[in-house]
Amino acid sequence: MSEAYEGTSEETGRDRLADDTLIRRIGEGATGLFAAALLGFLGWILVTQVDYRLLASVFPRFVEAFRLVLFIVVVSSILSVSLGTMMGLARISASPLTARVAKGYVEFFRGTPLLFQLFVIFLGIPRAWPFGAFPVGDWRIPAAIIGLTLNHIAYVAEATRGGVNAVADGQLEAARSLGMSRVQSMRKVILPQAWRNALPAIGNDQIILVKDTSLLTVIAVPEIMSVFRNVNSNQFDPWTPLVWVCLFYLAMTVSMSLLVSLLERRADWDLDDDEYSWLERLFGSGSGLGRDR
Amino acid sequence: MTVDESIARDGGSDHPLVEFDGVNKYFGEIHVLDDVDLAVETREVSVVIGPSGSGKSTLLRCVNRLEEIQSGEVRLDGEAVSAPDADIDRLRQRVGMVFQSFNLFPHMTALENITIGPKEVLGVPAERARDRAESLIAKVGLGGQAESYPSELSGGQQQRVAIARALAMDPDVMLFDEVTSALDPELVGEVLDVMRDLADGGMTMLVVTHEMGFAREVGDRITLMSDGRIVENTPADRFFDEPTTRRGREFLSRLL
Repeated sequence: MSEAYEGTSEETGRDRLADDTLIRRIGEGATGLFAAALLGFLGWILVTQVDYRLLASVFPRFVEAFRLVLFIVVVSSILSVSLGTMMGLARISASPLTARVAKGYVEFFRGTPLLFQLFVIFLGIPRAWPFGAFPVGDWRIPAAIIGLTLNHIAYVAEATRGGVNAVADGQLEAARSLGMSRVQSMRKVILPQAWRNALPAIGNDQIILVKDTSLLTVIAVPEIMSVFRNVNSNQFDPWTPLVWVCLFYLAMTVSMSLLVSLLERRADWDLDDDEYSWLERLFGSGSGLGRDR
Repeated sequence: MTVDESIARDGGSDHPLVEFDGVNKYFGEIHVLDDVDLAVETREVSVVIGPSGSGKSTLLRCVNRLEEIQSGEVRLDGEAVSAPDADIDRLRQRVGMVFQSFNLFPHMTALENITIGPKEVLGVPAERARDRAESLIAKVGLGGQAESYPSELSGGQQQRVAIARALAMDPDVMLFDEVTSALDPELVGEVLDVMRDLADGGMTMLVVTHEMGFAREVGDRITLMSDGRIVENTPADRFFDEPTTRRGREFLSRLL
């Protein structure tokens, strides 16, 4: 390969086709153009397509759906994070049986679509119920929570496993050398560090969980997408209800990522408070936010 | 209980504090410890030297069973550490270990690193553990750094915290596994000074090191290892002046 460096400057790439400033300008130009086009499109939609009277009149229905989704998200979130953490620990268990069962669980629930899992639980379970009539009258919301929880346990488990594996090997040796038992070492030394390592991936998964609630429309849960479909088919107006769909999902996902940033900030043990504000981390430094203390 | 008291407790026993008896260990095909016999007496500073890959660190790690052995026996104060039914957590409380890569707990302050062992393992009340940790921090020359996190300390300071963490358990013997090898040269001295003080205080120490000046000055006994075997085991002054074996002479001549 050494010949490649022996040519004239034109062939070696040592000459400057474009310097850093030019590349940066091109990048900024493209970004600006993209943003302008997007804002233009959005503005055009909002001016020409959205029926504001309809927007106001369907608002209460979206609020109702939003409250239901919020309830489903909170319950499934709490269940999937706590049970997923345990599944992650089972995945790295010293017992081969436990580890293998946990691996099988994760492979199954990551390897099949959530939609399939929802159908199995919502339609399949009541049909296969062996003890006479299925005892739950309205199975939609329980099925939704069970489906989302079982599915996201698998992802939280993988995040937890990754977090534990990322803790340096020497940490366990140091803890055990002090005479700490395996359980003490995990609780006091490994898990606090693993939790910090796993937080971004778990947060990411929980944001996906919020968006996964949109699938619940197929098992007749009256959630946000269902309201949209209903409004659209009655009014032949997709854009007006889509505005609410967008805003309500963003309200949940943005607050979720704020919460995750806060937790990450709290778990950063060696950051001084005045060194780094979580608002700055969120909005980028130089935004001036959170500097006034 | 202070360090000195714990040493007094073991004084006068008729067996060595640490004893290797015909120990063999394999990593797959490689014979890392080849029929090793070694004894470390109470209050003795035993220094293990030898080329890289000769099994020094493995030897050390067998004392608190961070490594399993395939045959022979490792005993601590007469009790078999290597036995399948050994109460290893209890035996490890009596063995302080300091690692090449410090292995401090990054999510705890220096003080918390030192108190966690006594609090979790020995059930020492928080306040007493704290008082003891503060005196240990002063002893290793880190007064004022108690609330610092490991990431805020230099390598030399981290290693001194790690020594204090091991001492907080009031161990009978301290193991040092190439503790200055990961340090910048100007930081080696401060760690060796702490170890010298410990040795002067009568601590039983098993030290794996490449610092020959330290071995000569502080070591009571030198063990030279090569290819998993102990090739020479003599009092320190004799080893450096007139090594008895050819391997010992070769090793020393390469250092000069």
